[in-house]
Amino acid sequence: MMMPLVFLPLASIFIFGTSSGLGNFWSALMAPEAVFALKLSMVTSFWATTFNVLFGLFAAYVLSRYNFLGRNALIVTISLPTAIPTAVAGFALLLLWGPYGTLGRFLRPQGIQVMFTAGAIVLANIFVTFPLAFGVIKPVFDTMSRSLEEASATIGATRWQTFWHVTLPSLRGAIVSGALLTFARAVGEFGSTILVSGNLAGRTQTAPLYIFAKFNEGQIEAANAIAIVLALFSFLIFSVLFFARDWLDVD
Amino acid sequence: MKAQVARIMDDSITPPLPATVSQPAASVVGVSKRFGKTSVLENISFDVAEGEALVLLGASGSGKTTILRIIAGLEQPYTGKIMLHGREVTELPARERGVGVIFQSYALFPKMTVEKNIGYGLRIRRRRRKEIRNTVNELLSLVQLEEHRKKYPSQLSGGQQQRVAIARTLAYKPEVLLFDEPFGALDAQTRVHLRREIRALLKKVNVPAIFITHDQEEALELGDRIAVINVGHIEQIGTPREVYNNPATEYVATFLGAANILEGTITHGHVVVGSAQMPARLLDDRFHDGQAIKLIFRPEDVLLNKTQEFPVGHVCLSSGVVEEISFVGAYERLRIRLEASGGACETTDQPYYLTTETPERQNAKPVIATRPKPETNAFRLHAGDRVFLGLSSFTILPNDARTSATSHPIITPSKQ
Repeated sequence: MMMPLVFLPLASIFIFGTSSGLGNFWSALMAPEAVFALKLSMVTSFWATTFNVLFGLFAAYVLSRYNFLGRNALIVTISLPTAIPTAVAGFALLLLWGPYGTLGRFLRPQGIQVMFTAGAIVLANIFVTFPLAFGVIKPVFDTMSRSLEEASATIGATRWQTFWHVTLPSLRGAIVSGALLTFARAVGEFGSTILVSGNLAGRTQTAPLYIFAKFNEGQIEAANAIAIVLALFSFLIFSVLFFARDWLDVD
Repeated sequence: MKAQVARIMDDSITPPLPATVSQPAASVVGVSKRFGKTSVLENISFDVAEGEALVLLGASGSGKTTILRIIAGLEQPYTGKIMLHGREVTELPARERGVGVIFQSYALFPKMTVEKNIGYGLRIRRRRRKEIRNTVNELLSLVQLEEHRKKYPSQLSGGQQQRVAIARTLAYKPEVLLFDEPFGALDAQTRVHLRREIRALLKKVNVPAIFITHDQEEALELGDRIAVINVGHIEQIGTPREVYNNPATEYVATFLGAANILEGTITHGHVVVGSAQMPARLLDDRFHDGQAIKLIFRPEDVLLNKTQEFPVGHVCLSSGVVEEISFVGAYERLRIRLEASGGACETTDQPYYLTTETPERQNAKPVIATRPKPETNAFRLHAGDRVFLGLSSFTILPNDARTSATSHPIITPSKQ
């Protein structure tokens, strides 16, 4: 079952990619547009990850430490993007920020354009990966013993000192794996970015969009070079995730 | 209402309390607490003297942990106030109170080594590095964990973790130490060993301490004084001897150790239980003729004899028949059924009275007696033997349930 469904497709990328020699692979990878696409993917994913980890941390803290009206509704709302098709997410962003969108139409006269920029890609990535870090961090907060924080308070620590010295170190593993998950998901994002970025080669074309564009142009080798890099990259993140939990959480 | 301390009537010696000339180290004044509409604490008041160890003893759900959390500042009282060395701290948050809490789970910071844990209180107070290092070294040697200083809490045994938790609070010189079920997570043997260790440690550092426990043996051994808590109020507060020997209420008598409880009445200055009666010099005018009472005595205060000639200091209660003898190691436990009629001890000084209790009802309740080995060997007993029961110490309480939480003088033959 696994063979034809998972391993063979992956293997074929590598087989095809190296069939015409490593030299060709390397020059396909080093094409300026390819390098740009990879860089753009990394940079936009980095900012989306930073934002979502910080936000996820804050939201998890508030939602597991305080009980208030509408708490569960908020948890559902935060988790909602998991279930929304990425194309819908991208389309929704267009309707909001696009030149004739709900907000975009007021920004356009000021000369501010949000869509079809690197910023739009970050926005799309944030939207799509929104619940990932939150989803990893919140359970750790929930199971964390309150007595650690209470002990810190009786010892004389302020709330902030307690968070920094006691709470945060226990979240290290969750934060790292939340960040990796978010990053991996953002780097591979296609459905929403193709709608909001405009797919302009050398300007707003991310790595997955590059693969799609080159494939359409019939440049299978160019597309394949990037595909190999992305596949290797996800292997890397996966193995870090797999092994990191253990050494990050050692007491 | 403050529970009165029972006056000691037997020859037990009250251990001298630390001088209370100055203000108490910690005071709880009229504290009550509600969660929603449920009242969990009613008007709790007590003092802890400098260097004293007070044990709050109660069943789970009695509210004892809530008292501790209110002193620590982790809960707010509904009414009342908390004083630490004369300073009112009721409104202060936990971090400004300077109390040391040793949590049941110890709550050591898992990502910090032993020395980082101990130094935490000083680090957040931004003390100089050298001062922190010296204090940590002193405390490490005090709790004998020098060789474990670089270890993480998960690498330590339960007892070691507890010592780290204590050292961590001692680092910032707490006003009072609060121990929440300190030995709950440990096995029986370690428990006994550790509480002696902690007792010695507390005497050494001379910091007042409040312990929370549901274990009566622990309470008797750890406390300079014990406060018995029942459903949110203090039943009795006193030294272990006072509380054990002169329980102020039936609850205290049964919660702390085993107790026989027989219902009876006061008749012409006598305690009359079923057909049995004992001369009792009543020291309190709250006992009046015809009043329903409860006669409370501990199994080890029962002396069994072939005749009704008891040694001085004992009062003959009744005769009875041994129903069952069980060997429980250090002593022997006997179940004895008091005889319905004709079993009464003869008394010369007073006429004979019967109670309103029917003999049948009284007989339904057997008496438990325990005898140490020498006594067992000197006077062997078998099931079915007829014996006389003498009491060396007993307590009489009015039989009006919980309404009167105050102690009433008891009558002890040894003082007559």
